[in-house]
Amino acid sequence: MENIIGDRESSTSQNEPENNWRPYFSFSTDHKVIGVQYMVMSFIFFLVGGLLAMLIRAELITPQSNVVDRPLYNGLFTLHGTIMIFLWIIPFNAGISNYLVPLMIGARDIAFPLLNAISFWMIPPGGILLLSSFLLPNGTAQSGWWSYPPISLQIPPGQPINGELIWIVSLVIIGISSIMGAVNFITTIFWMRAPGMTFFRMPVFVWSVLSAQLLQLVNLPSLTGALILLLFDLNFGTQFFKPLENGDPIIYQHLFWFYSHPAVYIMALPAFGIFAEVLPAFSRNPLFGYRSLAVASLGIAVVSIFVWVHHMFTSATPSWMRILFMVTSMLVAVPTGVKAFGWTATIWKSKLHLETPMLFAMGGAAMFLLGGVTGVMLAAVPFDIHVHNTYFIVGHFHYIVFNTITMAIFAAIYFWFPKITGRMYAEGWGKLHFWLTFISANLTFFPMLPLGLQGMVRRISSYDPRYQGWNVIASLGSFLLGVSILPFIANMLGSWLYGTRAVNNPWHATGLEWTTTSPPPQDNFDEIPVVKRPPYDYGDPKYSVIESPDYHQPEH
Amino acid sequence: MVRLLDYLLIAGCIAVLLLVSHWIGQLAYSWMPLEATAEAQKVDSLFSFLVSIGTFIILGLVGMMVYSVLFFHAPKNDYSEGHSSRGDIRLEILWTATPTLLVLWIAFQGFNIYQQLNILGLGQIVHLHTPLKSEPAYAVASNDKPKPTSETIEVFVKQWDWSFRYPNNVTSNELHLPVNLRTRLNMHAKDVLHSFYVPVFRLQQYIVPGRNINLVVRPTRTGKYTLKDALFSGTYFALMDANVQVESLEEYNQWLTKTEKEPKTRKNQVLAEYSQSPKTWFKSGWYTVVPDQRAITQSALE
Amino acid sequence: MNRWVIYIDESPIPLERWWRYLPNWLKRFLPIRGGRPEDHYGKSMFGFTVFLLSESIVFLSFIFTYLTLRLTHLQNWLPPGVSGSKLSTFVIINTVVLLSSSFVIQPAENALKHHQLNKFRWLWLMTICMGTYFLIGQGIEWSKLDFRLSTGLLGSTFYVLTGFHGLHVITGVVLQIIMLFRSLIPGNYNKGHFGASATTLFWHFVDVVWVVLFSLLYLWQA
Repeated sequence: MENIIGDRESSTSQNEPENNWRPYFSFSTDHKVIGVQYMVMSFIFFLVGGLLAMLIRAELITPQSNVVDRPLYNGLFTLHGTIMIFLWIIPFNAGISNYLVPLMIGARDIAFPLLNAISFWMIPPGGILLLSSFLLPNGTAQSGWWSYPPISLQIPPGQPINGELIWIVSLVIIGISSIMGAVNFITTIFWMRAPGMTFFRMPVFVWSVLSAQLLQLVNLPSLTGALILLLFDLNFGTQFFKPLENGDPIIYQHLFWFYSHPAVYIMALPAFGIFAEVLPAFSRNPLFGYRSLAVASLGIAVVSIFVWVHHMFTSATPSWMRILFMVTSMLVAVPTGVKAFGWTATIWKSKLHLETPMLFAMGGAAMFLLGGVTGVMLAAVPFDIHVHNTYFIVGHFHYIVFNTITMAIFAAIYFWFPKITGRMYAEGWGKLHFWLTFISANLTFFPMLPLGLQGMVRRISSYDPRYQGWNVIASLGSFLLGVSILPFIANMLGSWLYGTRAVNNPWHATGLEWTTTSPPPQDNFDEIPVVKRPPYDYGDPKYSVIESPDYHQPEH
Repeated sequence: MVRLLDYLLIAGCIAVLLLVSHWIGQLAYSWMPLEATAEAQKVDSLFSFLVSIGTFIILGLVGMMVYSVLFFHAPKNDYSEGHSSRGDIRLEILWTATPTLLVLWIAFQGFNIYQQLNILGLGQIVHLHTPLKSEPAYAVASNDKPKPTSETIEVFVKQWDWSFRYPNNVTSNELHLPVNLRTRLNMHAKDVLHSFYVPVFRLQQYIVPGRNINLVVRPTRTGKYTLKDALFSGTYFALMDANVQVESLEEYNQWLTKTEKEPKTRKNQVLAEYSQSPKTWFKSGWYTVVPDQRAITQSALE
Repeated sequence: MNRWVIYIDESPIPLERWWRYLPNWLKRFLPIRGGRPEDHYGKSMFGFTVFLLSESIVFLSFIFTYLTLRLTHLQNWLPPGVSGSKLSTFVIINTVVLLSSSFVIQPAENALKHHQLNKFRWLWLMTICMGTYFLIGQGIEWSKLDFRLSTGLLGSTFYVLTGFHGLHVITGVVLQIIMLFRSLIPGNYNKGHFGASATTLFWHFVDVVWVVLFSLLYLWQA
């Protein structure tokens, strides 16, 4: 990348960091603004979903049902799951991908900027619509985020506007936004790369986004179809899923899980991509086995299309189907394992720097091992039959969505914070946030594994008193988890407004996004770069520096 | 000489890891509830096997990460490179092929146990008697000769209780099973999807309304256990626990005759909560399907 | 000597060497060696094609539902006294009109490519008329049927499948009308004719879906 100005010459960024908040509340078509809009909005929904989780854990700290009444509890876990998946992780991933992908491939913007803005602006109304169902006289949807018929079709008689209908409509709106986003990202990655940026010079994060968005494209319409049919059953008297009227609820399960299994990879692949960006930067090693990890991203996406029945091992599925999908579900562990081994090899014989992004990335990668291993266990049919719909599953997937993906999200926020805002965050507060989160995440979700093995079923608000011990630990852990977000919010707000100015490349990282200013100018690069070297080029002297002690201090 | 030491060290670490994994795999048996059927023992040994492999992987990789943090920490301002190796083709092939073989081996073990469950009565038990022309497909896939059972108990599940009808038309809301004998459970759901789940049997199966789902159990250990509904089925779903009593054949017959003479209905918790909801901090008052007001056992007669 | 040559861009396959063997239409969709962001037409057609792939999966999910329900209820598919969706001449004519409109819209787009605006407008207008004919015909057919949306599985699947398809036909006709009006604006095609091409592709998609639906709903009599 010869024609990019090295940032050793200047000790602060060329660009003035903007504290102007106006663009972020406007209809902008700049992918950087839209990216930040997605990220901040989804974080707010994360807090709402977290609040619902606190209520759930408060209920579960005692065996009796004494905090909320039963319909409200059912509404709480339904909305907690729905919000966390469709309004936190998936939109946040859309946001970070929006921000980074054009910069990483050397483009000035995303392929269809207007479509991008429309995709974003569909989500706040969808989310607010979903939350507004709390105000209905008979409340929200109350059948879990799966909304299986026929239970989800049991609505208060004579009330066509009910929580379930609102749930379906808001999910359809969010789904349409996601499909438009997928079209955008895939076109961007195919068409907008800088000269010389071949597929195998793209960072693994871009490969991950490509794989995740291909999955969105192919699988999300199945959920849309399922929801439309459910809506017709709910409101228009059709009988697709009504078993007592010749319908077949198992069809819904197939259509639902055909999307929702790849959905977990849609959430996880960008997180894996984030690990692949952060780990090399802080270990000063190239990413070990770059090509394998790039191809593994696509491999995970392709195999994950063929595993969905493992959510239906105890349903009315025939034996041959169970065995077939056991084999495919086991196979998806192979490319995932390749990634995990690659990360570990990257930090082996390295020069480690343990700043906050690295702590989150390593903590996330380590906890992913437990989440992934429990996942491979669940692929074995006889074992899954025992723990299906118990807290073992809840523990497994929270180890993935919180302890891996959310940790990766925090790693990404800290890592790219200087680039996005032009300011450095406060390192001490970041480390405090990490340790609180790491400890409380394990305290909260680890106890769920033994609870499930012992037979505690999920989605219940009262339980047999012999399960109380582990539940108390999990609940206390979750309250600590709630508290742990406070230093993060303080750090973000404080640093964005008053932090020290950041240089172009505070981490001495490779990647095209680090060659432009912090924050980047409107059209990203003064000149579109011409790429001639592979990614993770930590052997290049330009990146291999001994910095002076006052490197991060502003000149004046 | 140094190379040999390296290999010895690696071999030593792997040996230690294997020992620790095996030990934790043995511990895993104690994490499961007690085993009340022969199938449960098989499932537990599969679980122990999986835990051993998982422990090996987790400890190995986390161990490497911890080692890296301890011994590869760089001085604060030193951003020079670690090493320039971008990968190692042979290592990458090794760690792609080995996990593939490993997971296929695990799948094979899982399949074996699933088949054994078949022989012992679990696998082929799920006959879905749907009004299908293509029904034979299911029968062909599984073991064709149905295992002889001592008797059949009809299981009725609805929102929100379980009821059972025994061969002499005795109904109850407790499931009694004679030990060491095969009993067929013929399950019917009235309204929504439910799931028959007895943790100590390691047995779970969804029950779809309108379909006749039956399975065979052969408990091997007497005692009092719990049957739960594991699939979310509405407002009072958490209250759907039923008692399972496994007893000797004489006690079982005694109980049948006694219950025929004096049918026992236990207090219906669901109705109690429906009429007088417990005190909670937040009350929503949202809609709920009305629970069946009749005595629990009566609905089993339909 | 290292057998595993690592190309400078680390690609395991030397794509440059195979580039010249790829067909033109594939090359248009798969630019390598860096994209061509200034090719707005190609980029937009790629995006739109990718979107149609996604849309077809929604139809596939409905068709999967229909097939599963029908194959497990072969005996009693038609409720008693209901004759179902009969393959009448009316329906056949409707189908012929819709399918041949694909052979009208394609020459229209070709005319536009060769800047023959008037020929484009007339053929385009004819397509609109054929599409509208189909919609009206479908509406009449619906009104003559002896079952409703809530009449068992037959009603559920038939009306949802044809209704969803009909929505797409309406969308196609609306897009065509918009394109027709835009063709009256001078200088409209200075930056390419993506709108017309996309609408044409969408119309072909609608027709292919109808071929499938027609076979499944009308040709497959109970």
